[in-house]
Amino acid sequence: MKNKSVENKYLPEVPRKEIDELKNTVKTASQKIIADNIARMKKADSHRPEAMKYFDDIADLFGQRQEEIQAEKEKGKKVIGYLCLFAPTELIMAADAIPVRVNSGWYDTSKLGDRIVPVEVCPVIRSTIGAKMIELSPFLEKSDALISVLTCDGMTKLSEILGDAKTIWGMNIPRIKDSTQSLRFWSDEIKHMKDQIEKFTGNKITRKSLKEAIEVSHRATKAFRRLQELRKGPPVIMGRDAMLVNQAYVWDDKVRWTEKTEALCDELDKRVANKDWVCPPDTPRVMVTGTPMFWPDNWKLPTLVEEASPKGIIVADEQCSGERILNDPIGVDEWSMDDMLKAISERYLMASTCPCFTSEDGNEDRINWLLNKVKEWNIQGVIYYVVRGCMLYAMEYTRVKKALDKINVPVYYLDTEYTREDVGQMKTRVEAFLEMLTARVDF
Amino acid sequence: MMSGSDPSKEEFWRWQEYHRIVPDIKWSSKDVITAGVDVGSVGSKAAVMVNGKAYSWGITRTGANSPESANKALDYALKDTGLKVSDLKFIVGTGYGRVNVPMANKAITEIACHAKGANYIWGPSVRTVLDVGGQDIKAIKIDETGRVVSFLMNDKCAAGTGRGMEVFADLLQIPIEDIGEISLTVEKEPEPVSCTCVAFAKTEAMGLLRKGWSKEKVLAAYTRAMAVRMANLINRVGLERELVVTGGQSKNRGIVSRIETILGVKCLPMPNWREDGLDPMVAGALGAALIGKALYEKAQKT
Repeated sequence: MKNKSVENKYLPEVPRKEIDELKNTVKTASQKIIADNIARMKKADSHRPEAMKYFDDIADLFGQRQEEIQAEKEKGKKVIGYLCLFAPTELIMAADAIPVRVNSGWYDTSKLGDRIVPVEVCPVIRSTIGAKMIELSPFLEKSDALISVLTCDGMTKLSEILGDAKTIWGMNIPRIKDSTQSLRFWSDEIKHMKDQIEKFTGNKITRKSLKEAIEVSHRATKAFRRLQELRKGPPVIMGRDAMLVNQAYVWDDKVRWTEKTEALCDELDKRVANKDWVCPPDTPRVMVTGTPMFWPDNWKLPTLVEEASPKGIIVADEQCSGERILNDPIGVDEWSMDDMLKAISERYLMASTCPCFTSEDGNEDRINWLLNKVKEWNIQGVIYYVVRGCMLYAMEYTRVKKALDKINVPVYYLDTEYTREDVGQMKTRVEAFLEMLTARVDF
Repeated sequence: MMSGSDPSKEEFWRWQEYHRIVPDIKWSSKDVITAGVDVGSVGSKAAVMVNGKAYSWGITRTGANSPESANKALDYALKDTGLKVSDLKFIVGTGYGRVNVPMANKAITEIACHAKGANYIWGPSVRTVLDVGGQDIKAIKIDETGRVVSFLMNDKCAAGTGRGMEVFADLLQIPIEDIGEISLTVEKEPEPVSCTCVAFAKTEAMGLLRKGWSKEKVLAAYTRAMAVRMANLINRVGLERELVVTGGQSKNRGIVSRIETILGVKCLPMPNWREDGLDPMVAGALGAALIGKALYEKAQKT
């Protein structure tokens, strides 16, 4: 914990009474939103897979999972929160600590963040600041330390701001991905992080414990990939359901998540065999790319797409709140400590399609991901989702559009904010886009 | 053929509500009669088509209640035609209030409807449609059949829209229907106002009036700024000829001619809507009625 006698650089001293009042109000509203999201997801699929029940429960950010983490903490385990997918979760697990991602999807707290930073700042950042101010996020509050990877400008300063309240470890990410010096630099960051985690937890990361942690990730990636494969054909699962499963990984217990996801896939396999589709096979197939969308409030876009008239179904995404979490396995050759660390460094740097990178050919990896998805998952339209203030994603749109234009796949740039006020206008945009995809058959 | 209320002298923003029946079209119960009801944020429009041909339409101001506005517009379109709502084989609701059109068989976005309507009004050569509505502007690329290829929409604010024009008509005390021509009477085009946000532009305009600018010059500066905004949207979606303007602001010569100057292209000519031509303000409702016909026929086949 931070020494509170040091004066805060950013965070204001909010009176306890105000914190408690705001926290209660926002928490109550959020619980309603979680319940409403789940209810709508249930409604979207009249015979929703049985296995989704587990994920509905784990989706309650104020429920079972945070209680489990609390119980582990009381037994002496450390919780290490992280703000970016570049944080090497295997090292955390290998030190017998609990990794949990703490980015905020709460709309209401972004307004509180406005007290510290201007409204032009990305709402994901403002909302995370606001969540900290009123101690809303159980996962952020229970984190004993935070890993912040300095990807975009927002993340860089967020790291400083949260440093007022938490022990925070920044990781420098090189901006040029495909150079040997970048990889060398990043490998040093990874090694340094290993030392830091070991010192903080008091647990040595051994060859055995790291191998086990990597194997946990491998099994999770296998289950994850199985789920995404099932979304290739005629739809057997609503996009929102799959997206919730994918995102829950960042706060759930990794081993249990893997079991439950495999169970879900078993169920879906039977549906494929019975040709038991979740919506008509000619429903427009949509992919979402762009700014991450964090549960629970920022579920606006997937809800609009899958409840629109005409309805669409999200069959894939390219987002760090979604498929990027687990898409790439750690490629270990020999299970020596050096080789495992090297494999972790490579996996977190090279496999990422984050727009914070550039390289000789620009962020070509992201373009390749999108083109491959369009082809293999039979995508009919792409929604390029950006929250205002998310500069890197906004800027990369032009390039993505060019690449998709070339293969004749429509892409729509949808910009929004952490607010519910623009749902009506967004609905018109989303529906017009889906109409465009279906017009060929209907009128 | 015109009817409707006289614009009140005090309400400079008020535009004329009217309805029209196209002569020489006869209908019988065997015909495919469809309607489109376009409930916009400022105007509600309804159009009736007989076998895919425009037969009648009505334009009214949108009230506080969407379903009521929809009913009012459709009743207006049906007035003196002998048709009843029950004679309509298919009704499509569109516009901002499309989900609140009580008698509609289906809701379709105004983007698809304006695309189809522009194709109907001007023919298959139209590739770019600028729809300037009461509260938003949309630039739509379409193919030769009137289907949407891509589109862009402005932010959620009234800058550069019909509602903004109404505010200015009131501020400068110039009737809304004269505003376009009057904005073109300036000898030399002034610099556009720096901000199209209605609230800020109002303040800026008052400052210019105090500085001694004429009403015409202030109006020209504001209209210019709105036209720049619209031209930018068209450029972003990718201008391809032919270009047309639909929605209420298609009647604003000040806007349309400035867009033409900025982009360096001529729009297809405005139909003579005051007499016997189709009204581009009804493009959305016409498109909706046409889509209604297609959906009705598709349903008959299956």
